[in-house]
Amino acid sequence: MAKQATLSRSSEDKVFDAVLYAIAALIIVIVLYPLIFIVSASLSDPTKVLGGEVWLLPKGFTVEAYANIMQNDKIWIGYRNTIFYTTVGTLINLIMTILAAYPLSRPDLPGRGPLMLVITLTMFFSGGLIPTYMLVKSLGMVDTMWALIVPGAIATYNLIVMRTYFQSSIPWELQEAAHMDGCTNWRLLVNIILPLSKPILAVMVLFYAVGHWNAFFGALIYIRNEALYPLQLVLRDILLISQSDVADSGIGLEDKILLAESIKYAVIIVSSLPVLVMYPFVQRHFVKGVMIGSIKG
Amino acid sequence: MRKHWKSSAVSIAIATSLVMAGCSSGSDSKNKGNDASSPPSASPSGVSASGFPIVPETIKLKMFTRIAPVNGPFKDMPVFQDYEKLSNIQVEFIEAPTDGFAEKKNLLFASNELPDAIYRSGLSPLEAIRYGAAGQLIPLEDLIDQYAPNLKTLMEQYPEIRAGITTPEGHIYAIPGIVTLAAARTDKKWINKAWLEKLGLTTPETTEELYEALIAFRDQDPNGNGLKDEIPMTARAGLVVVNMMSGSFGLDQQLGYNINIDNDQVQIWMGDERNKEMLMYLNRLYKEKLLDPELFSHKEADFLAKQGSGKAGFFFDQTNNNFLPIQDQYEGIAPPAGPHGDRLQAQTAPIARDFGAFAITDVNKHPEATMRWIDYFYSDEGSTLLRFGREGEHYVLKDGIPYYTEEYAKAENQPKITPYAGGGAPHIISDRVASYINPPQVQEAQKQLDPYMPKVKYGAPMFDEETAQRVNILRNDIDKYYEEQSTKFIAGALSFDKWDEFRSTLNKMGIEELQRIYQEAYDKTKS
Amino acid sequence: MESAQVDAAVAPLRRPSGRGGRLLRQMAKRYDLYLMLLLPMAWYLIFHYGPLYGLQIAFKNFNPGKGILGSPWIGFDHFQRFFDSYYFGRLLWNTLTINLFSLLIAFPIPIFLALIVTEIRGKTFSKWLQNITYVPHFISVVVIVGILTVFLSPSTGPVNKLIEAFGGSPVRFMESAGWFKSIYIGSNIWQSMGWQSIIYIAALSGVNPDLYEAAKMDGASRLRRIWHVSLPGIVPVIVILLILDVGHFMNIGFEKILLMQNNLNLESSDVISTFVYTTGILKGEYSYTSAIGLFNSLINLTLLLLVNRFARKTSETSLW
Repeated sequence: MAKQATLSRSSEDKVFDAVLYAIAALIIVIVLYPLIFIVSASLSDPTKVLGGEVWLLPKGFTVEAYANIMQNDKIWIGYRNTIFYTTVGTLINLIMTILAAYPLSRPDLPGRGPLMLVITLTMFFSGGLIPTYMLVKSLGMVDTMWALIVPGAIATYNLIVMRTYFQSSIPWELQEAAHMDGCTNWRLLVNIILPLSKPILAVMVLFYAVGHWNAFFGALIYIRNEALYPLQLVLRDILLISQSDVADSGIGLEDKILLAESIKYAVIIVSSLPVLVMYPFVQRHFVKGVMIGSIKG
Repeated sequence: MRKHWKSSAVSIAIATSLVMAGCSSGSDSKNKGNDASSPPSASPSGVSASGFPIVPETIKLKMFTRIAPVNGPFKDMPVFQDYEKLSNIQVEFIEAPTDGFAEKKNLLFASNELPDAIYRSGLSPLEAIRYGAAGQLIPLEDLIDQYAPNLKTLMEQYPEIRAGITTPEGHIYAIPGIVTLAAARTDKKWINKAWLEKLGLTTPETTEELYEALIAFRDQDPNGNGLKDEIPMTARAGLVVVNMMSGSFGLDQQLGYNINIDNDQVQIWMGDERNKEMLMYLNRLYKEKLLDPELFSHKEADFLAKQGSGKAGFFFDQTNNNFLPIQDQYEGIAPPAGPHGDRLQAQTAPIARDFGAFAITDVNKHPEATMRWIDYFYSDEGSTLLRFGREGEHYVLKDGIPYYTEEYAKAENQPKITPYAGGGAPHIISDRVASYINPPQVQEAQKQLDPYMPKVKYGAPMFDEETAQRVNILRNDIDKYYEEQSTKFIAGALSFDKWDEFRSTLNKMGIEELQRIYQEAYDKTKS
Repeated sequence: MESAQVDAAVAPLRRPSGRGGRLLRQMAKRYDLYLMLLLPMAWYLIFHYGPLYGLQIAFKNFNPGKGILGSPWIGFDHFQRFFDSYYFGRLLWNTLTINLFSLLIAFPIPIFLALIVTEIRGKTFSKWLQNITYVPHFISVVVIVGILTVFLSPSTGPVNKLIEAFGGSPVRFMESAGWFKSIYIGSNIWQSMGWQSIIYIAALSGVNPDLYEAAKMDGASRLRRIWHVSLPGIVPVIVILLILDVGHFMNIGFEKILLMQNNLNLESSDVISTFVYTTGILKGEYSYTSAIGLFNSLINLTLLLLVNRFARKTSETSLW
């Protein structure tokens, strides 16, 4: 009877596995198909794309769209700016988040509870766009790169994740022992905690960097100078905006427009590539990092 | 009619000069000639009332402006380089791209972070009143009187300009771009005459004939390539098509809104049966794929590309600049007559076409000099500099009229050198500076429209602050609702069974109160 | 509970003897920790609590020339206007339904995905599944909406080509009120299911293996093991994430909705946050929209407190 049970269980198992694989395969197709389509369309003859001939693989292979992007100053200026915002911004994010997360992770810090409450509340309440704008303005940051970096210096969610990581994956005994040896908190943080926290640091870099890379709203509000525009704002222009501001002008747009039409797909690829490329480098760390960080909240 | 305008303008002028006398210092010794060559006569503030330079010692001004995608940086434009030397006023432009401009302009005022002036700012009358009443924009009427000889002359010549920009309290908070060239105030109705001829059709005279012609465009492959790639009719994105067609259904656009004026009765026609007829007509065109299915989603750029592609049968634009290479295929036609025989070119801007093109803020330390600075562009000479750049380099004179050199007639170069490209620049557009935008084909198209222009065109009225606020509240709701529902009626997303609901919602939103407010404003301009 | 904490921390300071003295000594001993906190806390005060004073314009007739403090008080007029507005019902309805559907449909999917990933035996395949589903997370909203536009385009998009191939007529997906919510939520799922599943995958790997063994011994099928062991094992994580989601109930997806919005889908895409933006920033009704924003935040906060309390009572898990 026991044997019979194992038998039926194993056949049940097989069915179960088959269903699992089928669903998983379906998910992969659903996720990948739009991406493959964009890649193929970007490498195809635009008229074939417009004619709906491109289904899966490129038709009338051409890299002209990419060549066109190469010549588009706006995209490159946007690229350069975004890289700058992303690196400087992420660095500041990291420093600020560590400085907040570590002390707040210490169970022996008097006043930790109230401080956490003060921080957590900000996730759910804000003064609104105008007062925030006025603040940024009064700090002299409007139309400078700082407006895209300083107001978002800490993401509270990330702070909580990092704090939880410090609390749960670095043994408190270790910290106490270090204290016994006369180690100051600064040295403790720099020499012991941070080296033990590489996974969460990798995750934070990824979180923050992706955020900076993809941000556009701040720039829409704070940045006037087109030379400071990040890539996403340039993209928004190319991909989505339909503007009709033209009274007696309009001239000369046409060429650029047809161009824009043909580079749409390629632009999507070019702008997303860097973050996608970045991912495998931190991927090793990050499942562990995200996990441990958020789970034991 | 004219008489009325004049008398009201005069009384306003008197009122303002009384107000002014009390607060301005040294308004007596003014040389009001607008002859640029007369010797500079210094006023107490060091600003010469005429002639150049405007100020003896260089001053700097910051101006906030909109830069269109087609423009190059303002500091590289010949007009601003040359004018800086001429006027001794250095202008630093804070350029905000068209995309996101509205956000930035409003935040500028909301946070009281003001430049010295705003240039090509596209302020609406309601905005001008709001920021004027808040003290952020300064009243300009006496500055115009003393330091803007060109503008003043124009305002005397066309009294409706003053009436259209002066608040009931007698203040002018923003000065407009002025367009005396009628052809620059309308969009022509361009039809593909090559297709008409090929299909043996006559120029459509009624909306039904237009419908038939569009069907022929759709079905009979007029471009002969064997593909159904013709776009029978298209327009700029959104509800622009409504403004273009409303005249055929007896719907005028007076007072800068969806308003008919009949026997001095102001009527907002959004809930009117005539409007229903028009929307049903447009819906029919849309449903049968005669009206561009991408009407509500295509970008400005797409629309222009369609013009240039030669695949469009019927569309609207001010000039032929966007389809120059294939211009021979098209001709401008008169508005088709509607079901009740209405034939009106309702879409017509007033002479003060671009309201709120320029304004001076309260942080400006040199309002007199600023006013002199902008006034130059209201002369043909200044406008030529603005639109055409330097003689010899960018343009040549033929019979005293400037024409771009070959190099700068090119679409990719022309908008780089002038801030007028992209629309809304504060200056005068007269027939003296219109060689590029008013070539013979456009003049011809305008002649078709001329007989059907409204007898009088009232611009958007100026309200007092309190009323303006009320109008703002009412219109924010009503306009949003109207635009959304009209779009849905045309696109067929909303059935005309819902028309009564549409009307009653408009009523609930206070359309009658709004009509009353416009009536009062109209009565005031008449009295 | 939080107020109790505050009392514990603050009350002793008033009596600097006994416990209070010890507390002060403890604080002094860890002064360098406070030093670290100095910059971040100052940042929080300036950038999060600083702008809160601007909330008062919700009760004022904000006049930019006079500034926030100088503008006249008018009480609750703006709130009244909003409640009376034609748009009030629609905004509230859309905001609520979009978020409710997101919670009902989009929230469970990452859990489901995580279960699949952990249950699949082939580890290489499971890694692939994970890595592929992460990818869309890294794509920006602008690009996502761009992809939606080209993908669903009536003339050139593959979806409509497929519909046409089966004899249907093209659907203008992006310009349809009926489709808006499905497209919005569907693309959200597409973009973030992989990413959000990471946490559940990690949590599942932390479930005590002995429990599985015990269940196996009892003859439980895999489905039953999932139901009785895996899911209960990750309930705390699910609850925390649910609370966080509810905390953002009223304002998620603002940028994406704004980018997708047009007159033809406005019926279902008009939500409070986009209305605040278009009416406030684009039409200059600062006070009115501040009032709406405040109303929104209050609903949010109430929901958050309710859910947090409920969670603490029922599952002993909570945010603080």
